[in-house]
Amino acid sequence: MSDHDETPTTNLRSDAGPKIVGQKDGGQRETGPKNSGQKNSGREETPTRLRRELPEEVAPGPTGPSEKTDQEEQPVLTGRQRLVMGLWPPRVTRAQLIVALLLFGLGFGLAVQVASNSDNDSALRGARQTDLVRILDELDDRTQRLEEEKQGLEDQRTELENSSDQAEEARKQTVEKERQLGILAGTVAAEGPGITLTINDTKGAVEADMLLDAIQELRAAGAEAIQVNGVRVVASTYLTDSGKGISVDGNKITQPYRFKVIGKPQDLEPALNIPGGVVQTLEKEQATVIVERADKIIVDALRAAKQPDYARSSSQ
Amino acid sequence: MIAVLGLVVGVVAGLLVRPEVPAVVEPYLPIAVVAALDAVFGGLRAMLDGIFDDKVFVVSFLSNVVVAALIVFLGDKLGVGAQLSTGVVVVLGIRIFSNAAAIRRHVFQA
Repeated sequence: MSDHDETPTTNLRSDAGPKIVGQKDGGQRETGPKNSGQKNSGREETPTRLRRELPEEVAPGPTGPSEKTDQEEQPVLTGRQRLVMGLWPPRVTRAQLIVALLLFGLGFGLAVQVASNSDNDSALRGARQTDLVRILDELDDRTQRLEEEKQGLEDQRTELENSSDQAEEARKQTVEKERQLGILAGTVAAEGPGITLTINDTKGAVEADMLLDAIQELRAAGAEAIQVNGVRVVASTYLTDSGKGISVDGNKITQPYRFKVIGKPQDLEPALNIPGGVVQTLEKEQATVIVERADKIIVDALRAAKQPDYARSSSQ
Repeated sequence: MIAVLGLVVGVVAGLLVRPEVPAVVEPYLPIAVVAALDAVFGGLRAMLDGIFDDKVFVVSFLSNVVVAALIVFLGDKLGVGAQLSTGVVVVLGIRIFSNAAAIRRHVFQA
């Protein structure tokens, strides 16, 4: 549309008329007016328009400005009147239809562009490249930071899992050790191969020291858990004579004395039967002694764990 | 009047239909719209000046759009698409403003 706006401007500038008259071609116009650089699209239209207008412009007067010529062509119409005239009585002309078509295209494109710009709701759409690069960098940084944090947390989790595994393992070992120690201390029941030793003492000749000898012999032969007539024999067990019977840790027991011993039967039995050993000594006292091996001895007499008053563990 | 109706109908149609802009056309649509706006303002001014010619309007409208899109396309190919489209918008904006000033003088006599 450049020629539409160029031509009046050129004519309004005072000395455009004579130049054009002198040159008679459109070529000079490009260098003549100051704003000639604007007309880049409609250049080819210019000469015809000039040729059409020039005779009328030139005819009234050589230096006449275009306003004067306009008034002479259409003496009554101002721009506003033309606008109103063009707007109100709607005329279906070819020009109107073509312009309407083009304006339809413009409106359509405008609306589509506005819609696609606004309803895509992402603020990134209209952002410039540098902004996008910056945003991307920030996101990268943030991703990296979060990755590092995640890595740290995962390490921590692994560590905790390991340590909890270790704690679990330690706990298992502790439980196992407690059971083992409990067998020795008499706080848990025990079972396993071993022997039973039954001493029938109808005459009442067996005394505490004989039973103690028997216990010590059994221990020396590798007995691991011993109970006698329902009393567990542990490290602190003591035996005393008590009337017709014998007191073990304060619990009075009477004959027959039944020892249940867990240990290796092949060791325990010979240990009792050696010449001059426990069995012979007891038989010398008129007691009858029966030693039986068994594959499964259950030592189920228990003893409460006793917290030592003075001794403390020095291992840790 | 019919031309104004055409513009209004176009806007309404664009808003109602909301077609997906093809990715190929997408960078050129805004520039083309601005170029067409420039042509429309020029045409309006020409009408007020009483020298409106529908043939010139059609040719300048289409050539404006095509040249603007071509410049942006070329700029994209040359790697200066953003700057070149900015330049095109600036030039067209200046022209729109000067045309609007002429229209204003006609309509408000000021």
